[in-house]
Amino acid sequence: MDLLNVSGSPHVHSNESVRKIMWTVVIALLPTFAVSILSFGFDAVRLTLISVAACLLFEWLIQKFLLKKPCSISDGSAVITGMLLAFNVPSNLPWWIMVIGALVAIGIAKMPFGGLGNNLFNPALVGRVSLLISFPQQMTTWPMPRPWFSHAAVDATTGATPLGMIKTGLAQGKDMGELMNQLPSYAQMLLGEQGGSLGEVAAIAIIIGGLFMLFRKVISWHIPVSFIATAFVFATILHAANPALYIPGSYHILCGGLLLGAVFMATDMVTSPMSGWGKIVFGCGCGLLTIIIRVWGAYPEGVSFAILLMNAVVPLLNKAFPPKRFGVTK
Amino acid sequence: MKKAKSSFINMFLTLLVVCALAGAALAAVYQATSAPIQQARDNKQEEAIKQVLPPFDELKTEKKALETISIQSLFHKEAAADSLTLYHAFANGEPVGTAVESFTNKGFGGTIKMMAGFLPDGSIYKTAVLSHAETPGLGSKMEDPSFYGQFEGKNPASFNLTVKKDGGDVQAITAATISSRAYCDALSTAYSTVKPQ
Amino acid sequence: MNQLQNFTKGFIKESPTFVLMLGMCPTLGVTTSAVNGLGMGLATTAVLVLSNIIISCIKSLIPDKVRIPAFIVIIASLVTVVQMCMEAYLPSLYASLGLFIPLIVVNCLILGRAEAFASKNGVWSSFVDGAGMGLGFTFGLTVLGMVRELLGNYAVFGHKLVQGDGILVFVLAPGAFLALGFIVAFINAIRKKA
Repeated sequence: MDLLNVSGSPHVHSNESVRKIMWTVVIALLPTFAVSILSFGFDAVRLTLISVAACLLFEWLIQKFLLKKPCSISDGSAVITGMLLAFNVPSNLPWWIMVIGALVAIGIAKMPFGGLGNNLFNPALVGRVSLLISFPQQMTTWPMPRPWFSHAAVDATTGATPLGMIKTGLAQGKDMGELMNQLPSYAQMLLGEQGGSLGEVAAIAIIIGGLFMLFRKVISWHIPVSFIATAFVFATILHAANPALYIPGSYHILCGGLLLGAVFMATDMVTSPMSGWGKIVFGCGCGLLTIIIRVWGAYPEGVSFAILLMNAVVPLLNKAFPPKRFGVTK
Repeated sequence: MKKAKSSFINMFLTLLVVCALAGAALAAVYQATSAPIQQARDNKQEEAIKQVLPPFDELKTEKKALETISIQSLFHKEAAADSLTLYHAFANGEPVGTAVESFTNKGFGGTIKMMAGFLPDGSIYKTAVLSHAETPGLGSKMEDPSFYGQFEGKNPASFNLTVKKDGGDVQAITAATISSRAYCDALSTAYSTVKPQ
Repeated sequence: MNQLQNFTKGFIKESPTFVLMLGMCPTLGVTTSAVNGLGMGLATTAVLVLSNIIISCIKSLIPDKVRIPAFIVIIASLVTVVQMCMEAYLPSLYASLGLFIPLIVVNCLILGRAEAFASKNGVWSSFVDGAGMGLGFTFGLTVLGMVRELLGNYAVFGHKLVQGDGILVFVLAPGAFLALGFIVAFINAIRKKA
């Protein structure tokens, strides 16, 4: 495959292949998938399957009939896009909206740029953001997760995400201390008892997947650590300045899609910088933008916008912090 | 004809003549159209007033300073103009209502101007948007009866003029909460001038 | 080039919207519905025809070095005249189009045709060029508006086909870029084959 050819020679040969990396990511996503099934029941399975199937189908159709190139869907990248896209939507999303999201992700964000390795923006996030803008109503009614292993109907209650509750509460002129009492506790957020998208509710499952990918060297520590650290520090400073308006940094980390974004989406090899310092700057930008959008933006959640905005500057970051070239002395 | 040379005097004269002619043409057209334009604007104003009030036969115009208005909404602090125009309508000498030309700067696309008609008891009769620059297909739905219809017959004394998201009674336009808030803002500004003391 | 070709070139071969990529500001800004695109296109056509005629009449009187400011003054005055006349005599049309008319001044298409065509050709050719290009621009804007209205609002020329909100991203700014990009890709694919 030619798409790993990003740097000058000589190359270090290893038995890594695109396919192997992609399936490692899929395995890393499984704990998150498991929690979403526990929390949202069959809906989670249904949506994820629809999304993955639609992504594969669109990629195959475009390759076969529009680009007339050999089929590449077995490399697993469309499976990851499909899973991440499904993890970024509420569990009660109608199936046809899910299919439109997959079409946008594959048909607009990925294939027109030349397929895997050439896309500028993370396809799953482009799909997600387009859906958020296009179907604001369906994309922001969140079924509350049921307690694990109970058989209560899932879609019985809908509620706001913690970030949504904060934004609405502040608009009504409530005090943050008062709001904190209504918000889910840290333990609830770790285990997935908060309103939100399929894959963002349980912090602990995402951390397990992230550690697995680190261990298998599919991702490096730079982006997740700098992303989370920047968000934490910035939010903590805001909280220290005015606790009545801003929630603590640790809360920002655990709620919403910050962990999911930092671990699985900002680290996408194709759309993140190549060198270590480039990755750190990229992560810092994501963290900063996320908090800025969450605190002062029109939308309660800013992770996907932040990552997409930073995706756009990746080529510049690759210029400013070029990857190390072997055999060249300064 | 030979092409004019780019000498200083030629350039100077050309621009002078072009600008003078353009200015003269504009002045002439302005002269010719200013009366019909004013007429068209007045018609629009009058139509808007008729639209939001019960039938009437006499109008009295009043300017009311904005400083005296109680701050009703979160967004009211930055009002730019300092007065609103009130049109008190009478039928056979009896007051039948007041139309208030109100505005807000809190629209998604800037200023929204509206005409709001109130009955003597302070309840809303009808409202109409005079001008706006909201996003077509989203905020522009404020001109849809499905949105403005919900205000008709409501008395702001009991009907909370803020969107449901902020704890009020107004059903916001899908995906256009900012425009809906702005509409409520302009409407509560208008109401504050006619509120029975 | 005969006058028929001169007239029809604006529709596909040198379409201002899809090939020349001129006047992108109104193209992206106002095409949220087919009617808006049509109205903006026609208003632009009126100004374009008039400006082409005037500029081709006085082309030899204007020294080269100051032609751009002279053209801009003429175009801006024409736009203002059109705006005032429309407000005075066609108030209902003005109510729906008034917002867009000042945008015509910054439309590169008009300056572009003045510069590339009217300042080099005779009055009659310039008139035909202005009309063809203007109508081609109208055609492009209407097509783009139709696509965006259909996808974003499930409607054609204001008639709802399906109740409810459409894929809203298409009536928003990003949808303008997306729709334009895919239409251009489609037209290029056809041109390549032909």
